[in-house]
Amino acid sequence: MSCEETRLLIGADPGASDPVLEEHLKSCPGCRALRDEMRALDANIRRAIAQPPELARPSRQPARWRQWALAASALLAAFAVLAVWLLRPSDTLAHEVVMHVQGEPASWLAAQHLSAQSIDSVLRRSGVRLDISSDDIMYAQSCFFRGHYVPHLVVQTERGPATVLILRHEQVSGRSTFHEAGMSGVIVPDGAGSIAVLSRGGGSIEDLATHMSQDVHWLPEPPR
Amino acid sequence: MQLFESMRPDLLRFAQWLARDRAIAEDIVQESLLRAWRSRDALKDPAAARPWLLTIVRREHARLYERKRLELVSLDDVVEIQAAPGPEPGGNLFELRQAIMRLPLEYREPLLLQVHGGFSTEEIARELSLSNTAVLTRLFRARNKLRVICGMTAVPDVVGGEAQL
Repeated sequence: MSCEETRLLIGADPGASDPVLEEHLKSCPGCRALRDEMRALDANIRRAIAQPPELARPSRQPARWRQWALAASALLAAFAVLAVWLLRPSDTLAHEVVMHVQGEPASWLAAQHLSAQSIDSVLRRSGVRLDISSDDIMYAQSCFFRGHYVPHLVVQTERGPATVLILRHEQVSGRSTFHEAGMSGVIVPDGAGSIAVLSRGGGSIEDLATHMSQDVHWLPEPPR
Repeated sequence: MQLFESMRPDLLRFAQWLARDRAIAEDIVQESLLRAWRSRDALKDPAAARPWLLTIVRREHARLYERKRLELVSLDDVVEIQAAPGPEPGGNLFELRQAIMRLPLEYREPLLLQVHGGFSTEEIARELSLSNTAVLTRLFRARNKLRVICGMTAVPDVVGGEAQL
């Protein structure tokens, strides 16, 4: 199978897996990276269409509608300023983290130990090195989040699985906790960015967040 | 009928992404459920109800699209309407939803059948009366357009059975 055929298959169906495709991927890091990217994109597409689009009944009088739209947009701008003031950035970040994790429900169920090499590849893509044992990591994906690829890990703890997102580009002013959609979480500042840790049902996220802060090492930022 | 009705929200969401118009989507789903009820004997396995109903919705949309394509809402109107509530404007998901809405139907339709409906390439090809290669090409190009919107580089286009974009 050529790279061109592989790219077509991956672009058309990133979830596809057959022996011929896998054989090619083993020896082609470029196509392997493309599949990771396409799978991350597909997770976002699923999230995007999980809710119906915001649609109104179309206006049959566009000129008049546009006048009202202008007035409404001025009002909306005023509300937006108010909303920005009321909604602290860290809250928005926590919400987006929860939305992202919700979009990958299968990640919680991962039960297969990953190779240290595959985990390292996910981490290196975001310029991160981790000191914890790869035996504890059950899931590792490079996910497109807020304009950057971030490591999305699921770590097995004594009290069940916990999700970790290492957010190199998200600065937070301090440690903050949140509870949303059946998940508990904490975002802690680390390096120039932050680390988000989530669990379902109140696992030991505080301890894990502290450990992650100690175990994460930031490498020079990789080229985009 | 209860089984069909329980799927109404799922069908409506699919129809809204297809038609990009709430009122038209509601009409499509209503008509599709009526058609499904009249043809209920054709559904041998209740477990296959979802793909069967999604297929009916798609065909109903295609019928309407052919009949009323000149009257359908313009893309400009859709984008302005879209700027209403939803994911945070400026966020990735918001931009991605807009990009999916902007995809031409020939790309949006197979993508929705695959991602929302769980249809295989072969099933989509049968449903749209296309070759497998044409479906693969359309799906590839749909994702390639969305990649660019998400700030990723476009994958060099493949030589498919259709004209280049």
